[in-house]
Amino acid sequence: MKRPRLHLREAPLPGGQPLAFAIGLTIALFVGTLLLLGAGHDPVRIYSRMFEASLGSPDAWAVTLNRAVPLGLAGLAVAVAGSMGLWNIGAEGQIMAGAIAASWVARIGGDWPGLVLIVAMLLAALGGGGLLAVGPAIARARLGVNEIITTLMLNEVAIRLAQWLIHGPWKDPGAHNFPLAPMLPDQARLPTLFSRAHCGLLIAVAVIVISSLAVRYTAWGYELRIAGSSEATARYSGISLSRKILTVLVISGGIAGLAGGVELTGTADRLTESISNGFGFAGIIVAALALMRPSGVAVVALLFGAVQIGGQSIQTLGVSSSVSTILQAFVLFGAIGAGVFSRYRILLDGEARAVPEEVNQ
Amino acid sequence: MTQTPSPTDESQLAVQLSEVWKTFPGVVANAGVELNVRPRTIHALLGENGAGKSTLMNILAGVYRPDRGELKLHGRAHQFRNPADALSAGIGMVHQEFRLIPSFSVAENVVLGSAPSVIKTRQIEARVAAMADKFGLRVDPAQPLWQLSMGERQKVEILKVLWRDAQVLILDEPTTVLTPDEVHELGEILRRMADDGRCIIFISHKLHEVSGICDEATVLRLGKTVASSLDMATTDSTELARLMVGASPTTPDRPAAATPGVALLELKELSARGDRGIDAFSDVSFQINSGEIVGIAGVAGNGQRELADVIAGLRPSTRGSLIMNDADMTTASPRQRFLSGLCYIPEDRLGVGLAPRLSITDNAILRVYRQQRRGPFIVAEKALSYCKGIIERFGVRSGDVDGPIAALSGGNLQRLLVGRELDSQPSVVVAAQPTRGLDVQGVKAIQDLLLERRNAGAAVLMISEDLDELLTLTDRLLVMEGGNIRGEFDPRTASRQEVGLAMLADTTAISQP
Repeated sequence: MKRPRLHLREAPLPGGQPLAFAIGLTIALFVGTLLLLGAGHDPVRIYSRMFEASLGSPDAWAVTLNRAVPLGLAGLAVAVAGSMGLWNIGAEGQIMAGAIAASWVARIGGDWPGLVLIVAMLLAALGGGGLLAVGPAIARARLGVNEIITTLMLNEVAIRLAQWLIHGPWKDPGAHNFPLAPMLPDQARLPTLFSRAHCGLLIAVAVIVISSLAVRYTAWGYELRIAGSSEATARYSGISLSRKILTVLVISGGIAGLAGGVELTGTADRLTESISNGFGFAGIIVAALALMRPSGVAVVALLFGAVQIGGQSIQTLGVSSSVSTILQAFVLFGAIGAGVFSRYRILLDGEARAVPEEVNQ
Repeated sequence: MTQTPSPTDESQLAVQLSEVWKTFPGVVANAGVELNVRPRTIHALLGENGAGKSTLMNILAGVYRPDRGELKLHGRAHQFRNPADALSAGIGMVHQEFRLIPSFSVAENVVLGSAPSVIKTRQIEARVAAMADKFGLRVDPAQPLWQLSMGERQKVEILKVLWRDAQVLILDEPTTVLTPDEVHELGEILRRMADDGRCIIFISHKLHEVSGICDEATVLRLGKTVASSLDMATTDSTELARLMVGASPTTPDRPAAATPGVALLELKELSARGDRGIDAFSDVSFQINSGEIVGIAGVAGNGQRELADVIAGLRPSTRGSLIMNDADMTTASPRQRFLSGLCYIPEDRLGVGLAPRLSITDNAILRVYRQQRRGPFIVAEKALSYCKGIIERFGVRSGDVDGPIAALSGGNLQRLLVGRELDSQPSVVVAAQPTRGLDVQGVKAIQDLLLERRNAGAAVLMISEDLDELLTLTDRLLVMEGGNIRGEFDPRTASRQEVGLAMLADTTAISQP
């Protein structure tokens, strides 16, 4: 009897991850077809509508890119922490904290010139997100408290803080008692590049490129990679683990906060309770699919943006938007499932395909 | 006891492997190997690291399938698809790494995977005890495995294959975890099994052990059989050694006596805890002078690893003090110690000394990247030329320097690690098991590097389980047992037996349940 077995490859298959992603997308589309047929829709019509709305025209591209920006930044935030083996599950809250900090700057600097105001808002967003990560970072670095739990719980804190501000001190007196924060001043809006695509795209690309270069070519990134590969080796060579953990988690929080700032000045008119919009959680998926590599985040974020925008567009055809969520989930399942094969080979006869003896020692 | 070897009829052979070929990507592990094992014998399979011994035995045990070749048991051809096939044909292998569950009892470990559906503990323990008694394997079936020494764990592994009724037992380097006394005991156990009708294949590269235990020997070199079924009674070990290494090995000249200078490393009543929070060693005091190699002998797990970690600053000490180059380093960080001239070659090369997922270059610059910075960046050309320098000077055979370090062979990994560490011209060197698992040239290269460092005036501490190595290489030899220094020997005059006895001080008492 031939039993298939998985065996770890000596090195991951080159190009395996993009291939896995494509397979994941195919599986998702297939499952989506079954779902749509089951619900009595014409899959071809639905899919072509999704494509048109997300990638079919410059306007569609603009909307998709605007969506990919916060996804990419949130994904990068998770990936930066992940390259050292840390899990920042708190990007959602950090996005909110960044948006709150940027709103606060807009409140006090309402009469500043546009460029100054926007830069100040984005810096504040960076700081706000970073600030929310300081607590978990110190707890992890000094006491070894699991950062997954602390960052996750702080999400709730940031969201409640935003709710309190919107319902209380920051409520717009001119909004007829509706719980709304005031609109941003006009000069606080990010300029557009083309159609509705805003400059946040440039900011996101720049941050992703800088992060990739920093991880790959700087001494800081080198120490990060050593610590991510083996904590014992980092200790052995005198790299301070606790300082690395501290800086990496705070930077991760800052990048997520920046996503909140860009989202506020780019697409939202005002601070709302839903400004983080699940980007922080989607960012975990984006980072996982990019194998925690900053360089892979951009591509994955773009595809995820397209799937999300496409999914929203089909609501007008009477299809529930949860189809989009289901599709996203299946892209993830499919890609992670297929990703296994870029790291493992399948053996049919139960023979252990082993590393040669010499290498084994 | 030993039958005279005669041209045997095929059906009389318990195991017959002929023309076995096995290739791995880039490596021909077996190139037409022959092996004939007669029943009721202990057969040594000899060869250097990388000679193809383990591959051949993995083929016999059903772990690998040969590319070509024939396998016959008592004249009947077999093809194993997996280890279960081989086991049901009566072939059991005791691997070098034990596959045992620490929280289970001895008996539970023995029956694991082939236990009856209803486990009657007492009954099973009684059966295991009976089987153990029959062959003189002294273990208590009810004892939890974690309490056992490495030697006792090996007996559990042997019981596992006997429980599955193996008629051919393969032991892969069984003596590496044993003390000299335990090696002797193992020999007696194996003899009883052979007399009971089984045959044993004994993989080793230590000649003096093999000659006392085995009846016949097959020697492999570079994937080929160079001598088949030699009678051990009539073959002397010089001849075997010549067959194994291809040329007559020169007995290593004792390095010129050192002229010790001032004390560079001094331990004063140093104590530390192990991973379980129990004292790993206590009140250890010794000093090493400039131009001196001091060896620490001992069976694994007697505090040597922790001692090395404490000296390197990777584990805190609980009492006592550590002086290096006249400065108190008891609480200094690993980096401070490195800067004041300490280098550490850790036992766990790929998990502590090297970062397994990074490239060869990244690993080579671990000690110097701080000097290769320009602004925040590491200058790639400096890193690359430094890495190439290390590769060249220390004879690392590597492919792509941007490839992962884990792709290097054991010997090349160690050359890179030792080269990188010694490149900083350290005044104190701590080397833990620096030659373990390396082939002859690798061992020689590492030993030479350590000697060279000693001759340049460094204080070298060498921790090893290979007594022969310590006896030939060191200037003074300390024996560590149970977390204490049990004695100091002059390796020029000490005998293996003396040192071996000190290594065992109390363990004989422990192995009596």
